[in-house]
Amino acid sequence: MHKSRFLWALCLPAACLSQSFSGETFDEELAIRALPDGKVASRFEFSTLLHGASPRNPRNLSSEDDSQHYTLFPLALGQVLRRYAVTELHLTLNAGKWNYDRWGYPDEPDVATGASMWTWMAEGSPIPRHSVDARWRDLRNALAGLFCASLASLDEQRTTSPVLAFVPQGALPAWPQTEPHALRHASLPSEHVCTENLTPFLKLLPCKSRAGLARLLNPHRLLDADWHGMGLHVSWLPEEGVRVRLTFQSVTDPLRAGNTRDWSLSSLFDRKIETACPVAASSRVVVTLPTDESYSIRPEPSFVGQGRGIFDLASQPLPLDVGLHWPTAFQYTTLPTAQSPLSVRRTLHGSSQDHSTLAVSIKNAGPAVVRVAYLETLPWIVHLYLHTLELSVDGVSRADVLHDLSYTAPIPHGRAAALEAVLDLPPNSTVSLRLGVGRAFLQYGEHPPDAQRGWELPGAVVVVLPEHPGNDSQRRIYTSALLVDPATPDFSMPYNVIIFSCSLVAFIFGSVFNGLTRRFVVIAAGPRAE
Amino acid sequence: MPPHVHPEGTTLRDPSKLFYQLDFNRRLIIASYWVVIIAAIPLWWHFTSIERLSLPTSQVHSQAANQLRFPVQIQLENIQDASLPASLQQLLDDRIQRSPQAWKGLDVRVRNQNDANKPGDLFTVTANDNIPLASQRDLMYPIRPGTLSMLADALSILLVPPTDTHRVAQYSPRYRLAFTLLNEDAAAGKSISGWDISGAISRHLSPILNGLSVLHNFTIESQVQFHAPLAFSPLSLPDGYGITPEDLTVFVNSAEWSLSSSVSNDPVLHFVIFIPSASRRPLQILDSRGSPSPSSAFLLPQWGGIIIYNPPPEQESHAPLPQSALNSIFSTFATQLLALLGVPNLPPDVQTDAPVLTGWQLDALLRRRALENAEGAQDTLKSIVKLVDQIENMPVGQDVKGDVQDSLTALDQMYAYSSTSLNSTLHQSADALTLASRAFFNPGMLALLYFPAEHKYAVYTPLFASAMIPMIATAVREIRAWRKQRREAASAAAQ
Repeated sequence: MHKSRFLWALCLPAACLSQSFSGETFDEELAIRALPDGKVASRFEFSTLLHGASPRNPRNLSSEDDSQHYTLFPLALGQVLRRYAVTELHLTLNAGKWNYDRWGYPDEPDVATGASMWTWMAEGSPIPRHSVDARWRDLRNALAGLFCASLASLDEQRTTSPVLAFVPQGALPAWPQTEPHALRHASLPSEHVCTENLTPFLKLLPCKSRAGLARLLNPHRLLDADWHGMGLHVSWLPEEGVRVRLTFQSVTDPLRAGNTRDWSLSSLFDRKIETACPVAASSRVVVTLPTDESYSIRPEPSFVGQGRGIFDLASQPLPLDVGLHWPTAFQYTTLPTAQSPLSVRRTLHGSSQDHSTLAVSIKNAGPAVVRVAYLETLPWIVHLYLHTLELSVDGVSRADVLHDLSYTAPIPHGRAAALEAVLDLPPNSTVSLRLGVGRAFLQYGEHPPDAQRGWELPGAVVVVLPEHPGNDSQRRIYTSALLVDPATPDFSMPYNVIIFSCSLVAFIFGSVFNGLTRRFVVIAAGPRAE
Repeated sequence: MPPHVHPEGTTLRDPSKLFYQLDFNRRLIIASYWVVIIAAIPLWWHFTSIERLSLPTSQVHSQAANQLRFPVQIQLENIQDASLPASLQQLLDDRIQRSPQAWKGLDVRVRNQNDANKPGDLFTVTANDNIPLASQRDLMYPIRPGTLSMLADALSILLVPPTDTHRVAQYSPRYRLAFTLLNEDAAAGKSISGWDISGAISRHLSPILNGLSVLHNFTIESQVQFHAPLAFSPLSLPDGYGITPEDLTVFVNSAEWSLSSSVSNDPVLHFVIFIPSASRRPLQILDSRGSPSPSSAFLLPQWGGIIIYNPPPEQESHAPLPQSALNSIFSTFATQLLALLGVPNLPPDVQTDAPVLTGWQLDALLRRRALENAEGAQDTLKSIVKLVDQIENMPVGQDVKGDVQDSLTALDQMYAYSSTSLNSTLHQSADALTLASRAFFNPGMLALLYFPAEHKYAVYTPLFASAMIPMIATAVREIRAWRKQRREAASAAAQ
């Protein structure tokens, strides 16, 4: 019986992806909540579900794929997913550092600075260009073209396959005769997110930015926010189909304009919702309501429950401009209370250009032991000296907090390093981890543009491991990126350098040569003339 | 001669007797420097030279002079007058002489009844008294001495159909057909929410695509867009809106319409249904005099076809495309597809009973595509050879050379097939063109283009000039001293 179900799953994608509009739904939601420090976090989520579809089996990559007919699902993305047989894909482009201590956990967990991408793909046929690594490379290039981002720089030198940190959000199909799925992860903290990335993002939406909630995605306001980031998440839900979620998160500061926390859609985005997107199955604005203060919200929400006010665009009069007003002025608290029980600091010490120390401290403010996985992915230009690993809890050296450690050594000019450590964080204490770091000497062509600026190391990831295995809800904390400056030559005046060094070499050569070949004679000076 | 004497009278060692001051040793030192430099020259040459493999130039030129020829035989059946084949041959020869360019590559021979089997594709013309009818490779035609000239005209259209080369897309073994339903502004209401694209394709296009499968493979994709603004404002008319012929040239708003992604390099033929916004209906195409034209479809050469569909005013909000409209739109798309792929029309007076294409049309298309490809491949090969000759810094690697040789091989095979199999000829010609283009656009050929010789000298001179001058000066001085010694020794011996 199982066999036949597998076969059914195999022939399903063709049938479902080629069927027309009946099998696609599009939902959109905007969630807005005030943060404890007076800022406002908003999250747009545009979700398209392709009912009954399933990812392509990489075994079938050599054979002709079926025609792709989409109504709401973005064709440009669908083609990329089918062409490279991607089961699950997560791409995020974020600007700034998410402040966990003040803001708590984000609604979308992927908030790594810069570009970050991870996929789950199955190993395909023995043809080299259908291997996971080849498809991962091609996928990066395709998405780089789609999003106008430097994703092509997420090359082998930045790619890692950590085990614990990135579990699939959907399901992974178990195809017969196919190798199990493999993870590829890479991040590029120096990528700057800009309008040029937002424009292609908006083009993937059925109503573009002309109707519905996407109308509020005003680049002038969004890119001015304290923190903003966009994400693309593709996953397969066996009961439903292939789901694409396009998300945009931002943290805006109403206090910047005046001493008030009051916000409205027009103050946050400089736009109102004027028309509904006619093809959206549901379009909602969800506002988290304050719990311990008096406030007024306008207009009246369609539905209030669980501390949230929900505006349904189908029943609200348009244009809609949701606004929240506090009668009392905002009081700055000098000591912001920590919003997440874990707090991570990561720094790089040392003044020399060849050696430094990586210091990480993870504070557990909670009352219970927390088991976390600490993931460090580093480009090969820095390498860790594992024998220098020191672990201490509140300043007392303790090795027993380290539960498990796996390390993928870097290959110079080839592969990135990945360190994955499982740590037990004791309650109400700070675990610090120190590691010696060596820096490589780069070849002339390996320096990035603007070499003097240094290399940005991707942020580490701390994953709170679920207490019971099988519980998929993962909390991830991304630390900020670090800047490392390897020894850099003076690129500014190559000719001067060539001429100076050549002159020196020629001078030394000439002296040695002359000394070896000169003819020495004794000259009689003759009697001194008096 | 006394040794050099110190002014104070102490005797010094003669410096010329020191080990390294001996003439022989000093010359050995100088010579060893030169030996190292001379020995290093081949090494230096090897590491700084550009890999320039020789291309088969003479083969390319001889291949370019070749001309693809297709023998075509016409057999007349069921005729009374035995002199008719000869007269038809005469009429066809006249036409060939009048426009040799159109008949290029074709050897047409009208067979006599008693001719032995000769190579070439055989077409049959059967005399009958009904209307002219073309089926696979046969043509029914009333053959009488009086209609022979009309038959010759019909045959020339069947064998070498006139084509608009600007309209026909360039040959590719695989095309992507991208169907797009564009709503100008769905939020304005009364938009089209979807279409039965799979059904329409299987009804209207699949027979054509199957008929053309010897020439091309097709990948089909479709999407619906709900916001596709125009880059211009249509003209306001008393009873609707109009697009002037000038506006038609900028109708496709590629900045806003994401019509196709770049997931593959195959050429794309676009087929677009444009639904004007509810506030701009009906939208009509105007002719050059400014009056609405009856057609709502137009073709962009080599790009694709566009149809403007105005939904009926009584249509409810967000309904799928009605079946009747879908049928008429897709039959227009089918015509546009045939035009874009260069499928020839039958002569106006000839009917057909073939479902899609007759053998006459398909063969004419195959021959023309093969000729185009062969010419393209020959031109490209000539260009590569010329380019490599002209630019001396251009590297030519093994992959370029291999592609050029493979392309020549494909051309050779194409000639070998030209009298036996039209399909194989086309495939070989397509291979030849693909390989030649790949060689021409090989990125490795650009590597050192912008690293000129002056640049190299500028880098070398500061080191080599200052090192070489003392070496040359010492060598010259030493050679002079040696010759002077020889002369003195000779004159001493003569005395």
